[in-house]
Amino acid sequence: MTAILSRIFGLQHLDLILDIVQDTFETALTRWRFSGIPDNPSGWLMKVAKNKALNAVKRAQKSESFSPDLILPASIDLEDHFDQICTDHEIKDSQLRLLIICCQPVFSSRNQIIITLHILSGFGVPEIANALLMKEEAVKKSLSRCKSSFKAIPQLLNVPVVPPSNEQTEVLLRILYLIFNEGYKTTRARKGINNDLCYEAIRLTKLLLNPKQACYHQVNALLALMFFNLSRFPARLTETAEWLSLAEQDRTLWEIKFIQEGFYYLDISTQSTQLHRLHLEAIIASLHCTAPNFKQTNWAKIVYLYQQLELLEPDSPYIRLNRIIAQSYLQNAAACIKEINALEMSSGLRQSFLFSATKADIYYRTGERDKAILAYEDAFQLSNAPLEKKFLLRKIAECKSDGHKDSA
Amino acid sequence: MKEFLMLIRENADYGEMTAEQMQDDIEKQIKWVEELMAKGNFKDGNPLNHEGSHIKGNVITDGPYVESKECISGYYFLLANSLEEATELAKGCPSLALGASVEIREVIQVEQ
Repeated sequence: MTAILSRIFGLQHLDLILDIVQDTFETALTRWRFSGIPDNPSGWLMKVAKNKALNAVKRAQKSESFSPDLILPASIDLEDHFDQICTDHEIKDSQLRLLIICCQPVFSSRNQIIITLHILSGFGVPEIANALLMKEEAVKKSLSRCKSSFKAIPQLLNVPVVPPSNEQTEVLLRILYLIFNEGYKTTRARKGINNDLCYEAIRLTKLLLNPKQACYHQVNALLALMFFNLSRFPARLTETAEWLSLAEQDRTLWEIKFIQEGFYYLDISTQSTQLHRLHLEAIIASLHCTAPNFKQTNWAKIVYLYQQLELLEPDSPYIRLNRIIAQSYLQNAAACIKEINALEMSSGLRQSFLFSATKADIYYRTGERDKAILAYEDAFQLSNAPLEKKFLLRKIAECKSDGHKDSA
Repeated sequence: MKEFLMLIRENADYGEMTAEQMQDDIEKQIKWVEELMAKGNFKDGNPLNHEGSHIKGNVITDGPYVESKECISGYYFLLANSLEEATELAKGCPSLALGASVEIREVIQVEQ
């Protein structure tokens, strides 16, 4: 809805557009409480939005206090125009255009995410604050700064309704990756997984699917990665909503249809002639999703793929860490610990609990219980996420109880 | 059965609700109305637009927000055998949990 209205009014009138959208939903709530949800809710909503937009135009034409640059067509044209741009194809185009406008480098990555979620996904301020663990005031400030930018820098809105360039697509993919990531493992929210964020990321990524574009294969790779990860959601949390590691998950709960959909996108993506990091990440995810159990995971292949990733992104400590983790299942654990320590030093990321937790896990697997407990306790101190801390406590308890069995 | 007018007065500000709360509210409302319909207690119901006009003497002003903060947001016509029964039914209105107040009055019918 916002997308369509932005075609009519232009994003410099974002406040007006958001008001109309908000108004429409309030009307819907008031009406639907009494008479139930209509058979075609989106049709109903667009009709109401259209009427409110028409009223806004009429008021603007009557009132002189409206800004002079609000050049709107006469009401009669507006109705036709509205109907014309409400076709599925036009809606998709409008959303795509809006997505590009939201994700421009002039805004910080964080702000790009905030505007995208607010304008395109209809997330309210409390939802965004919760999703990105910000204070509501901070979100409001970010939004109002972005809106001011739109008003102050009209070039930002000069995005024609054409497919995005390769550079633009790269930016978009990065933002969508980050949005999915935040939903996949929320940083500090009460619930570990924010499904809405993941679904929104997927929905918006699908807008970018265009076989005629050079980035087509990358978009498919990202979708594959998202679906492979999505398939594991039902198994990742216990009944008490606590984390289960990959090794602990009940794989019968993984959604096969999402894995299959992942492969559909993966197949298309691998027809590319250029290797992209998303390809590698997607293939690694596919290897996990098709291993019948943790023990039968093809670690050798995964190590190889991570090594390729390291070549593409030599500066990422996390990719290196993941490769070391994969290697720890194949070879000399002590060597892995050494490498992790070196990595911790060189990356300057001492503050991340991941290094300690990884070492702890390796120690545990190689029978060095005491070292494992110490490393887990380190990780516990460094972690900020309540669910993570619960997980680490559980691991510490497991180490201790096993230890007793050993010594008895 | 007798007819009762049920007026809902509330200051509901949907802008402040989260998406989850809104969805929850709608579901509860729909469920309540469906139960009333199933038991034959529901005749009619409609929400009222927030904007309106108010006339007193010669003075016409905007909206109902003249004397009270709480505005009538909607009405129902319920069917019940007595005021007590109607009141019992009205207690189920989900708006009450959100701070709304409800007024029930019997519609005076003329017997034919």
